[in-house]
Amino acid sequence: MWSGPLNKIGEYRYEIPKTYRGINGNLKMRVPALIYASEEMLPAIRKDNAPEQAANVATLPGIVGRSLAMPDIHWGYGFPIGGVAATDAEEGVISPGGVGFDINCGVRLVRTNLKIGDLDRNKIRQLVDELFKNIPSGVGSQAKVRLNRAQLDDVLQMGARWAVENGYGWEEDLEYLEENGCMEIADASYVSEKAKERGKSQVGSLGAGNHFLEIQRVAEIFDENAAKIYGVEKDQIVVMIHTGSRGCGHQICSDYLRVLEQAVRKYNISLPDRQLACAPVKSKEGESYFKAMACAANFAWANRQMIVHWVRQSFENVLGRDAEELGMHIVYDVCHNIAKVEEHVVDGEKMLLYVHRKGATRSFGPGRKEIPKKYQQVGQPVLIPGDMGTESYLLRGTNESEEAFGSTCHGAGRVMSRHQAKRRWNGREIARMLEQRGIYAHPASWSVMAEESPDAYKDVSQVVNVTHGAGLSLKVAKMVPLGVVKG
Amino acid sequence: MYKIIEHTADVGIEAHGKTLEEAFEEAAKGMFAIITDGSKIEGKVKRKIEIPFDRDEEILLVDWLNELLYIHDVEGLVFGEFDVKINDKLVGYAYGEKYDRQKHGYGMDIKAVTYHMLEIKRNKKGVTIKVLFDI
Repeated sequence: MWSGPLNKIGEYRYEIPKTYRGINGNLKMRVPALIYASEEMLPAIRKDNAPEQAANVATLPGIVGRSLAMPDIHWGYGFPIGGVAATDAEEGVISPGGVGFDINCGVRLVRTNLKIGDLDRNKIRQLVDELFKNIPSGVGSQAKVRLNRAQLDDVLQMGARWAVENGYGWEEDLEYLEENGCMEIADASYVSEKAKERGKSQVGSLGAGNHFLEIQRVAEIFDENAAKIYGVEKDQIVVMIHTGSRGCGHQICSDYLRVLEQAVRKYNISLPDRQLACAPVKSKEGESYFKAMACAANFAWANRQMIVHWVRQSFENVLGRDAEELGMHIVYDVCHNIAKVEEHVVDGEKMLLYVHRKGATRSFGPGRKEIPKKYQQVGQPVLIPGDMGTESYLLRGTNESEEAFGSTCHGAGRVMSRHQAKRRWNGREIARMLEQRGIYAHPASWSVMAEESPDAYKDVSQVVNVTHGAGLSLKVAKMVPLGVVKG
Repeated sequence: MYKIIEHTADVGIEAHGKTLEEAFEEAAKGMFAIITDGSKIEGKVKRKIEIPFDRDEEILLVDWLNELLYIHDVEGLVFGEFDVKINDKLVGYAYGEKYDRQKHGYGMDIKAVTYHMLEIKRNKKGVTIKVLFDI
């Protein structure tokens, strides 16, 4: 139980003042921390100790504004999950802990021109089984294609473009991906042999844990205008993909934690937690990490791109119609574990910053140059995955999110450990329960069904309502699952 | 001897051994028990692992477990028995077999080994290690 100060400074806003000295009494926060939450969420947030981590992040050299945490905050490694920290692009540091092991874990939404009436339960079952067959999932899942070294280097440097150029997807897809599916700073020579070895057989695989692929129905529209611009309407069938950079990204993070751990000593940085390891952004270590991190981000975009290709193929196989004819366009693709160089206004002044989002999503509002032309009027689509069997959300970015460096939440956030969940439920029972609610699930295993049971998470709608109320992102549509492929 | 420890979003191992070497072996056993849900792993293949030791035991531990995860990920192997010697470097042997979903069930996908709340403690009974994994 965390008993530090959480002062309400506005609607849905709780601040840990800079004067807080931490549980050991010697913490030196450079800026305050701010947690977005509702009153009802506070007991759960305190129980988890995550606020202490938000305070720890506030000690990073060069941090500007505030150390932020979204309403889906929970305890992470070093940084809390749901944490956002921006550091000065000249004087600040970059930290792999502020990105996480699953670099560019993210979400992609594909729309169709099918309506719920076009698919009966049997068709949905066939689609799920076909998706499960075509998109490898689960522990140690290996993709259908194995790349050679030269191809992998191209993936690391080109991201989703590599996939499109090699026949996986459509040229127009790239326009609807954050960063157009490629961080240009990527340089594969900063990626270890091991990370490359792990990457070769995993481009185009879903992985395990909380990653999933869902066939969803648009259940509710909150914002007709934005929904129309995003090409989404009530009762439409859409597909959501939630996965990241797989073993390649995990290895890159592990490799650089090791490097930056040494850099902490070299640059004489004092940290309250070893997992916050970081280096000045202009140092050799910091620059190397950023170039390698970008490679992992590109890997993840290529991964989701190849999965989209196989999703389209699966629909074509089962329904006997072309993906073009089915209108399977990408609505958008967001990353929720990433660090990026962005321009933001701090205390009325334009600044170039390294924005770390660990379990947080970019939420840029209307007019930002980084978002697709088509979405300029309403802001970028923000995709919030639910957890197996629960609803997911399509939101839109706002200019108010600027107070959080253009960020919002990323999902539900766990309230129960995986083992607890496994003890409490049995996977088959959950599958039956989902079936009763009209959801067909095809998991790689039954135990993962129990671990990822919806009741093990905070209510995603509560999280989304807080970000809506706080103005960080606004609700556009709610989707509910019809069929689930679990890793 | 090891036991699995957990927090809301994490899982980890508390491993005990009479020596540092034995504690390293137990930690590795625990890690694969999480991956395979505690199922039996036969020692059909052997892998040798060498890691330089620059006096930081915590880093050595993370390197050791990460190396095993790497082999697991690339070769699709799971390990059940270990033999570790630590002098000026760590030399370890891991005994295991191909991961088989039917046989080994399905525990969890461990993404990486973390430094978070990492502990290596010594007392009269030996060495106790606490390590958390990102899942």
